[in-house]
Amino acid sequence: MKNLDSVLAAYLAGWAIFFVYYISVSQRMSALREEVERLKTLLSKGK
Amino acid sequence: MLKSALRAVVLFVLIAFTAYLAFYYAPIERTMGVIQKIFYLHISCAFSAFVAFGTCFYANLRYVFTREPKSDWLAVSATEVGLAFISVVLVTGPIWAHPVWGIWWTWDARLTLTFVLGLLYVSYLLLRSMIEEPDKRALFSALFGIFAFLDVPLVYFSIRWWRTQHPQPVILGGPGSGLEPRMRVSYLLMWGALTGLLILLLSARYKLEALRASVEDLRREAEVR
Amino acid sequence: MALLADATILLGKELRTEFRSRELLTTTVVFILLIFMLFSITFHPTTTESQQFAPGLLWVAFLFAASLMLQPCFLREQTNDTLSALRLSVSDPFAIFFAKLAANTLFLVLTELLMLPFFAGFFNVHILAVLPQLFLVFFLGSLGIAIPGTAFSAISAQARMRELMLPLLLLPVLTPILIATTDVTAGLLGPEPSLNFGGLGIMIAFDVVFLTALWLFGEYLLEE
Repeated sequence: MKNLDSVLAAYLAGWAIFFVYYISVSQRMSALREEVERLKTLLSKGK
Repeated sequence: MLKSALRAVVLFVLIAFTAYLAFYYAPIERTMGVIQKIFYLHISCAFSAFVAFGTCFYANLRYVFTREPKSDWLAVSATEVGLAFISVVLVTGPIWAHPVWGIWWTWDARLTLTFVLGLLYVSYLLLRSMIEEPDKRALFSALFGIFAFLDVPLVYFSIRWWRTQHPQPVILGGPGSGLEPRMRVSYLLMWGALTGLLILLLSARYKLEALRASVEDLRREAEVR
Repeated sequence: MALLADATILLGKELRTEFRSRELLTTTVVFILLIFMLFSITFHPTTTESQQFAPGLLWVAFLFAASLMLQPCFLREQTNDTLSALRLSVSDPFAIFFAKLAANTLFLVLTELLMLPFFAGFFNVHILAVLPQLFLVFFLGSLGIAIPGTAFSAISAQARMRELMLPLLLLPVLTPILIATTDVTAGLLGPEPSLNFGGLGIMIAFDVVFLTALWLFGEYLLEE
């Protein structure tokens, strides 16, 4: 079918963008969670 | 942990659903052929992006008048998610345009508006990265966000006016013309799925921002000790 | 009205500050001349080609110049720590903005008029017949640049890399002004000069919307 590869490319690109963004948010989330743990241990030690 | 896994599952399901709609359920359009199927994604994303930026505008106004950090969190989350959707619009558009128009890009009203919208909100995020103090960052980015959003209708109408001065050949009858029932349903369902995606990404990003705020509080506490 | 009285006094201060040293005007004029030269070298204007590109080049030059010229607007207040004094001196904070944007509009129009003969010379366009109309476009366009420009000068003064932030914030927002001014100017410089009222309408709408927004939110821009 003519242009089917364009349609596939468009959808794959779209989903890729959503996935990449979601992964970026998840990664930042886990980095922050680690930071929270680190700070909490630091503060409890200080006490 | 379980919540984020659940979120990922919902994400997969929504994406799979859009694939099903586009490639299986939706019929093939008569004049344009299979390439028309890009529109379901393209237009739904454009609509979702506008919803996201409208949410940002609302959050900006709320912040200026209430100074609640939650409004700032919502504003930045809505902007980032909106930019993700706008990126999809700006990528799928040219992929559609090249086989159909023979060109990747043109400066018509809708495309130019989409591009300018992207630039405006990228500038918004850049501004935020350049102000360190959280309260100032929230206030001044909110004020810029308000001005930026007020610009949007002006951009649209100015380009439309410009285009009536310099008419281009009408290539497109408008994607909504001659909608078969299954196409209309496809549009609605696709838009529903993408709205679900919008809410999912927005809530994830919002939680991230809330967590970042608590990290900043903890850091400040650690510095004091 | 207290607002106008305060604004007039502040406008006087802005004008006196600038005309004492004239550094803003001179640097902006030289900058625009440089841009004209660069455009002439790269685009090789002949008469017919000029008339197509010249209006766009003119307004791009003005936009770049304005995004530099508007930097010191609030930066000056920050470095000298005069912003709080300014706020105390007026009853309505909008007076500060009104004075600054009036001054900025005036400086921009002055610069544009000064540059007009050079523009006509380099790009071979006929301006004498449409001089009053050009002045109107310059005024409305400069107002359109100055209103968000003054507001964003206050915003970018709070940020790092402020010299880069101001153009980044301002130029996308000015898209409607660029479109309208370029097209109206093109209409005036074309083979059959005519004034496009649609374009003027867009400029006026832009000016009204942003002036209203500045009036509503200006006081928050002055918070420290």
